[in-house]
Amino acid sequence: MSVSNDLELVESFQKGNEASFNELVRRYQEKVYWIAHRFVNDHDQADDIVQEVFLKVYRALNDFRGDSGVYTWLYRITVNVSLNTIRKQRIKDFLRIDELFDYPSEESERPDKQYEQREQKQLIEEAIQRLPEKQKAVFILRYYEELPYEDISKILKTTIGGLKANYFHAVKKIGEFVNRAHRAH
Amino acid sequence: MRTEHIKYSLMDYITDHLDEYDRDQVRLHLQQCSECQNHYNELIAAYDALRHTQKVLPSPAYYSTILPRVQERLMGHRDSLWSDRKITSRLILPFAVSALLLILLIRTPSDFSSGHEQTDALFQAVKDYSADEVVQAVSNEYAGSSVLSNQEVVSEGIAEHLQGDHFIREALMKQIESDEIVDMDIEGVLSGLNREQAEQLLSGLTGREML
Ligand SMILES: [Zn+2]
Repeated sequence: MSVSNDLELVESFQKGNEASFNELVRRYQEKVYWIAHRFVNDHDQADDIVQEVFLKVYRALNDFRGDSGVYTWLYRITVNVSLNTIRKQRIKDFLRIDELFDYPSEESERPDKQYEQREQKQLIEEAIQRLPEKQKAVFILRYYEELPYEDISKILKTTIGGLKANYFHAVKKIGEFVNRAHRAH
Repeated sequence: MRTEHIKYSLMDYITDHLDEYDRDQVRLHLQQCSECQNHYNELIAAYDALRHTQKVLPSPAYYSTILPRVQERLMGHRDSLWSDRKITSRLILPFAVSALLLILLIRTPSDFSSGHEQTDALFQAVKDYSADEVVQAVSNEYAGSSVLSNQEVVSEGIAEHLQGDHFIREALMKQIESDEIVDMDIEGVLSGLNREQAEQLLSGLTGREML
């Protein structure tokens, strides 16, 4: 039901009804926020992603042809914007790490200490953050969003068999990361 | 069902996302396959740990702030960009093509004759950026030039640059066709660049204006 409604909104927007866009935002803002938040684990970054996603949606809406569902299209944009945010962050981190090598700080010398202060929850978050991108995307969409494989397959443009393998390896890695962290002290 | 299939269904089994038939298949298989039993135990442990994560809710008022801010930004950009909208969306299309242009930008011509390793690393470094980021970075560099105005022109130009470089060519075509999300090891890739190249990449990407 909601699928055809979404499509109607898009068609209405394409006919010039700008308010339809507002309705789409209201309908999906929470979902988009949560997917983004799972990716970056930070409110401000998630908020930036939400803004960027809807700006992109607005600009692409006139070209939307309905060959995929509105929501798979929207989720795909969300995943892409999220991954790009992470990539940019990692490049920044990389450059910063480079600086640490030049001027070693106290903090960088004892990373193990930090583990002890970490709660299980933070450990899990970190395990998720460390997943390879594709596995992370699959994990978030399947485990947290509980989307059907058919939809994830459209969002990520991957075969269902591949998705299932990604999901399996993602959860395995999370388990292994948590285990290793526990054994570390 | 083959073991592979069972193994990859275990998480759905644990989270109760299988239909009755598949659930029985998995349960029966687990009784007779120690390998899958081991996978199962590991996944269960991970699942237990995962349940410790709970949502940290944003303030209730947060969601009501989204739309006004989006609209504000749309208004701000509409005047300057609206008339270019069609062109912009066309520019977004040749993502991989643009990615490659960026590679061309950060390499000196002599790099083209160097080994595949560096070519590979550089290609990796940019191929996963979103279309608009790369396009913007590239079009900033090529401001005033018509090189980006037409996908065919760009493709031809690149084909010229790529004579003999089959790897990039294939990867490029594949990506144009599939537009897939590819995993990449950014740290690994960046370690193949010197600092100047990495910074160039970054400034190209962050210095862009919102499309
Ligand atoms: Zn088995």
